[in-house]
Amino acid sequence: MSPLRLPRAQSARSLGLRRLARHLPRYAALLAAIGIWAVPVLWVLATSLKARTDIFTIPPRLWFAPTLEHYRTALGTVDVSRSIVNSALVGTLTMALTLLVSVPAGYAYARVRFPYREPLFFYTLFTQMAPPVGFLIPFFLALSRLRLLDTHVGILLIYLTVTLPFAVWLVTTYFLDVPRELEEAALVDGCSRLTAFLRVVLPQAYGGIAVTAILSFINAWNEFVYASVLTGARVRMAPVAIFGFLTTEETLWGPFAATAVMIMGPVIVVAFVMQRHIVRGLTLGALR
Amino acid sequence: MTRRTQQAADARNGLPGALIPPAVGAARAVPRRRRTFDDEARFGLLLTGPSLLVLAVVSTLPLVFLVAVTFFRIELTRPWATGFAGLTNYTAMLTDPRFWHSLRVTAVYTVTSVALQVVLGLAFALALAGEMRGRNVLRTAVLLPMVLAPVVVGLVWRTLLLTPRYGLLDYLATVLGIGSHSWLGDPTLALGAVIVLHTWQWTPFAFLVFTASLAALPVEPFEAALLDRATAWQRFRYITLPLMRPAIVTVVIIRTIVALRAFDAIYAATGGGPGTATEILNLYAYRVAFNALNLGYGATLTVTLLLVTAAMTVLFGRLRAAVESPA
Repeated sequence: MSPLRLPRAQSARSLGLRRLARHLPRYAALLAAIGIWAVPVLWVLATSLKARTDIFTIPPRLWFAPTLEHYRTALGTVDVSRSIVNSALVGTLTMALTLLVSVPAGYAYARVRFPYREPLFFYTLFTQMAPPVGFLIPFFLALSRLRLLDTHVGILLIYLTVTLPFAVWLVTTYFLDVPRELEEAALVDGCSRLTAFLRVVLPQAYGGIAVTAILSFINAWNEFVYASVLTGARVRMAPVAIFGFLTTEETLWGPFAATAVMIMGPVIVVAFVMQRHIVRGLTLGALR
Repeated sequence: MTRRTQQAADARNGLPGALIPPAVGAARAVPRRRRTFDDEARFGLLLTGPSLLVLAVVSTLPLVFLVAVTFFRIELTRPWATGFAGLTNYTAMLTDPRFWHSLRVTAVYTVTSVALQVVLGLAFALALAGEMRGRNVLRTAVLLPMVLAPVVVGLVWRTLLLTPRYGLLDYLATVLGIGSHSWLGDPTLALGAVIVLHTWQWTPFAFLVFTASLAALPVEPFEAALLDRATAWQRFRYITLPLMRPAIVTVVIIRTIVALRAFDAIYAATGGGPGTATEILNLYAYRVAFNALNLGYGATLTVTLLLVTAAMTVLFGRLRAAVESPA
């Protein structure tokens, strides 16, 4: 019961109708919210399953015979199928590298006393403020000098700037939540610092590390600015490849919607399964 | 919202005056057995070393380089003209009407979309506070836009939702008597349309934060107000709103900083057009650097955006201090 709605004394008889009347606006708001945020997403899914003739009917058709032809068309486009593989590959590698680097760092910021700890933690957070468009210029010049433009290695390196600061910060907050006593007990029992971390602290933070992994993957998977300039025909990323269906001569809504679903789908499924945890990760910084 | 959350929020946004959450700041070392400080320090630096190295190489070095580039003339279309330019890029910027226009567009875009996010987020959070059926469906629905690629969201709005005659929203507008319009092709409507798009994608953030802070409000003041026969409006105006102020300020700060950096969705929806109607500073910089290939001037524009963001951050730090310690 929220503090905003305190129960009032009521006679049992009038309860039913009264309650309905009082809750009606709330359910209207609920439907409005679900409609506003879910309908556009469902509309993309619907469009991707409609035959060409059903897409451009007025009024828009809600009932139609679903077809997978647009998925076949989209995946038949070499650029799209390859770009999805590229995005998945680079996203997974980015996620793995991010975890490898951010988990030890997060533990150190949460638990280890070392010189300049606070300034270094801040420095990590500050690196997040950089606007990607500005960084494109040095990245572009550096990668072209290193012959890494349009390569997996190049874009992977760049994606670390997107994921790492946030991951370090998120992991730090999860390690801070692990009860200190557990670690102390392990040390008293004769574990070394490292064993205590690996055997006791790490398992306690698995959930948080999983959220960090997922959000890192999502950040890399969704990234567009760097991908649009630093990769080209050879290592195309999915968010760039989807533009191919929206050329000035023609807009292929069906294949476009199918590709959009393939880009949004995995992320939506994961968000759905882990929603409670992801909410915390996404609103971090506003609440703890 | 406790001091600690506040500081975490500050830290997230790199606000000055922020502290590391006390738990970080005041971490007592775990009891050490026959361990010298050197060991502890070495252990910490060993663990953080890789991340600091990566950030130095892919974040700080490029930033230094970016600032350096602003003092040079680098045009890929005219490689022979490359050379030191001193402050020419900056003086050129100050007399560039398109720069001032993009600054105005950025301001309108940021202020309007953040205000809408806060008002709508708060309205929905208040209307849907407490237990009710369908909460899980609701949580999933509001989570959707936040995890989608902004560039795909921009493209979806441009095509499936806002295309005249065939777009879903355009159809709804026709049904509602607003009529069919070229939402993204009309200079007077386009900025409003991309603001609505941004608001749609990010209001859920405000909603989730406000929902959480509403749930954590103390019950006593509301009980007292009910005893005093306060109306619903009075309870909202004199209890809920003041108690929510820190949460509101936090959301405003975070969303402003993010809105200033917006790029993907606008690029996808309008590309800054029609003409320069939706050309925020970020987009203008992108066009200068990667369409006109004038890297020196493009870098100058993005450094300016970074300075604007930093200035806003400092300003917000002061504002927050004022909110936290009621005079």
